[in-house]
Amino acid sequence: MARKKIDESRRDFLKTVGVVASASASLTIAPEARARQALATLGPGEVPVTLTINGRRHQLNVEPRVTLLDAMRTRLEITGQKRVCDRGACGACTVIIEGRTYYSCSMLAIEAQGKNIRTVDGLANGSTLHPVQQAFCDNDGLMCGFCTPGFVMATVALLEKNPNPTPEQAKRALDGNLCRCGTNIGVLKAALAVKGGARG
Amino acid sequence: MDNGSRIPASGSRQVAEVQAPARPPQHEKYPWPEKSRLLGTRVSRIDGPMKVSGRAKYSYDIVRPGMLYGRILRSPHAHARLKSIDASAAEKAPGVKALLITIKPGEKVMFPGEEIGALAAATEQQAADALRMIKVEWEVLPALANVEQAMRPEAPQVFTPANTRRGTAQEDGDLAAGFKSAAFTVEGTYSTQVQTHTSLETHGCVCEWNGDNLTAWVSTQAVHGTREGFAQGLKIPQANVRVITEFMGGGFGSKFGPDMQGLLCARLAKAANAPVKLMLDRKEEHLATGNRPSAFAKVKAGVSADGKLTAFDATTWGTGGAGAGSDYPLPYIYVFPNRRRMHTDVYINSGQQRAMRAPGHPQGCFVTEVLMDELADQVRMDPMEFRLKNLPPLAPNAMWAKYFPMGAERINWKSRHVTGDPTPGPIKRGLGCSANRWGGAGTGARAHCEIASDGSVVMRCGTQDIGTGNRTIMAMVVAETLGLEVPQITIELGDSHHPFAPGSGGSTTAAAVMPAMRVTAGKARDALFERIAPQLGVAATEINIGVGEVHVVSPSTPDSSASGQTASRSGQAPILRRVAWRDACKMLGTVPVSVDGQWERGLSAGGTSGVQFAEVEVDIETGITKVKKIVCVQDCGLVVDLKTAETQCHGGIISGVNYGVFEERILDRNTANMVNPNMEWYHMAGQSDIPEIDVVLVDTPERGVIGIGEPPAVATAAAVANAIRNATGVTLRNIPITPDKLLTELERAGGTN
Ligand code: FES
Ligand code: FES
Repeated sequence: MARKKIDESRRDFLKTVGVVASASASLTIAPEARARQALATLGPGEVPVTLTINGRRHQLNVEPRVTLLDAMRTRLEITGQKRVCDRGACGACTVIIEGRTYYSCSMLAIEAQGKNIRTVDGLANGSTLHPVQQAFCDNDGLMCGFCTPGFVMATVALLEKNPNPTPEQAKRALDGNLCRCGTNIGVLKAALAVKGGARG
Repeated sequence: MDNGSRIPASGSRQVAEVQAPARPPQHEKYPWPEKSRLLGTRVSRIDGPMKVSGRAKYSYDIVRPGMLYGRILRSPHAHARLKSIDASAAEKAPGVKALLITIKPGEKVMFPGEEIGALAAATEQQAADALRMIKVEWEVLPALANVEQAMRPEAPQVFTPANTRRGTAQEDGDLAAGFKSAAFTVEGTYSTQVQTHTSLETHGCVCEWNGDNLTAWVSTQAVHGTREGFAQGLKIPQANVRVITEFMGGGFGSKFGPDMQGLLCARLAKAANAPVKLMLDRKEEHLATGNRPSAFAKVKAGVSADGKLTAFDATTWGTGGAGAGSDYPLPYIYVFPNRRRMHTDVYINSGQQRAMRAPGHPQGCFVTEVLMDELADQVRMDPMEFRLKNLPPLAPNAMWAKYFPMGAERINWKSRHVTGDPTPGPIKRGLGCSANRWGGAGTGARAHCEIASDGSVVMRCGTQDIGTGNRTIMAMVVAETLGLEVPQITIELGDSHHPFAPGSGGSTTAAAVMPAMRVTAGKARDALFERIAPQLGVAATEINIGVGEVHVVSPSTPDSSASGQTASRSGQAPILRRVAWRDACKMLGTVPVSVDGQWERGLSAGGTSGVQFAEVEVDIETGITKVKKIVCVQDCGLVVDLKTAETQCHGGIISGVNYGVFEERILDRNTANMVNPNMEWYHMAGQSDIPEIDVVLVDTPERGVIGIGEPPAVATAAAVANAIRNATGVTLRNIPITPDKLLTELERAGGTN
């Protein structure tokens, strides 16, 4: 199962970097070496990338150096997650990938292919807010709101893993996010208010 | 400043508090209701759902068709003269559509990060690549990286006419006599660091031209001020500029105009004939968009044997960067009958200061409050009793004597030990207290209100919600006045096309905008009554507002003029007929009620007071301070939304904790370059560092609305510093109180064992 996945993604990889046309010339090369060679030819120009964000597939062309955050924000207009420090210190860009939080400013778009990426934009069900979003509103866990999407995603990830966190556990889970307005009191209240009630 | 320098010297003054009466006479026509239905309750912010769902579009999020990305070229040097600049390669680089150079050979830069050019390209990556292709040659000049360097007699003269600017001495009483009557004196040098605003949304905008008309989505605290700034900077009529700020990610005093990046963005957009987005990155934000000046104070103060302050003599200085002032109020709050103070602005080669959350006050508060604890120890008095003995008399804007005992109760001040926790073991616990004051009065806001035949209400005002909850409290006041619920009110703000409102600084917004809401909604209500009176077959004076309905009341009731109080009045007059709000509005037909209104006297005031208490635990083996609890007793006149007002206090307190123990702009002493222009080494409290916070908002509705954004940010650092002193027994006269400083001081005081 795991093996098959690797093969598939490698095939996708070769296709996306556009070396298929020259594949016949490299038939004699061992698969690993071929992959490495392909890696070497990736960029510097734009490459096609497929991202699955909030359940929707997006195809786009970006330079390999473009981060997942920038690809979402500047190419797909998915602007819920914010760019604040752009180097993994503040958490405003937090997304959930396969159940784990990631700083999307510190991950390349090409690395995020084939994965299920969740952002704050996809949390609500129409105009019905996710319980965590509702709890942030009810407990005033936001002011300017610029850090809020990151805090909301970190809270969702926490509660999906641990539906009944203690205050200490909740604090630790949110330590990777910074708020300059100082909403942390409301944020913690919100995180603890949805205890056990988070929707999957 | 020296010949060739291109940045203007700003005066030493910071944003002043607006003077207003402490207790205004009540507004005649539209006073605040005696019994309110909504005001003072807990209402969730109305833009919450937009913000938690990512649907709120900030300037940073705006994407326009064909939009380019701008980047600014900045000086890498603190002080240098341009020899040459060659942008020919950059101009031809892939994706580049416009390029501007704003410096000429021979001209100088005065701080690292000073703007010298800009370009716009199709992608951010292309813009960054092209920027690196610009070849710049400098003659690097001697720079001043800190106040010590700038004040040395042999320092190179970097600024004109001098590296320092002496203010005039402030004197009161007879200093010599004051020290003569002192039984004890304390002498010391106190200091506070430079901090940067670090708003999460960086400065910047999106600029789009349509012929000669500019639309700019700007992250600003002042849509109208920024319109004016664009017009002046670009030499175009204000009529041609529209500034939009629907949501913005924090400013804290640093975002009041287009700034250099806004003007460059507009010029790039013009040159490229395409919309341009230019948002600064985190490093640029730290370097070039303002900071709180440092403060130093060499103080000698005297106290009599019975614990009365007698004298205060201070020489103070500080730096607001390259050519900007650094003054702050000192002494703070307490009455020193004989005093003298001389302040000197010191210029160094760093970015200029800007107003930052209660400009000047946290500095003055820290210096004075730590000194107060030291003086109290001299006369062996409880520090709170000592403060109570030396406060100015009680007044609506000076309620500390009442608030100190309230706070003491909540922090369990009784449990306080004298300086130095005698408990064995490495964890030392301590308590400290301090006081704050602020202005928070505002004027000048205008608004426009429409009531349509379907019952919908739109209030437009060219103010902005910078995260304070302005939008929400505006809706609350309108809803209260019209007898409606908050969700029935549409608030439109953050657009210079709306009626003028002042910038959001000095905590003046609530006091400027809420009276405009009350008056304009009141006028709209009266206009509605005039319009529907004929159809109801009564005089307009016989119509009242109920909850979700209008009432026809008995004309004989004395208090039935349409201009009387809303809520109280409807309770008094016998109701003859009830008409649902929608049905009443239906009588308007196609022409809505449409009225203008503005701020009027009698609904807001200025002058707040508050106290804070801190409880800390210090690990004397690691030097790490854990702030356990802050108690805040604070007034702000009439509390509009208890929920958001409390959050304002939380926010101020957390920023005070940062100021006290975490954050500091650190400059390399050789190059004056900032060594922590990021968010990992520029320390701020994370979730685990947040103390328990207990807020007591003292509602004083008779004073009308007063701002609350800044006052709670003033006193926290001082209270924390005093609590650390109480815990450890060592006196740190310098913030932030970081583990290295604490361990050094503990070592000096005899080691940690
Ligand atoms: S923007 Fe990604 S962690 Fe700050
Ligand atoms: S709400 Fe403004 S930064 Fe967190």
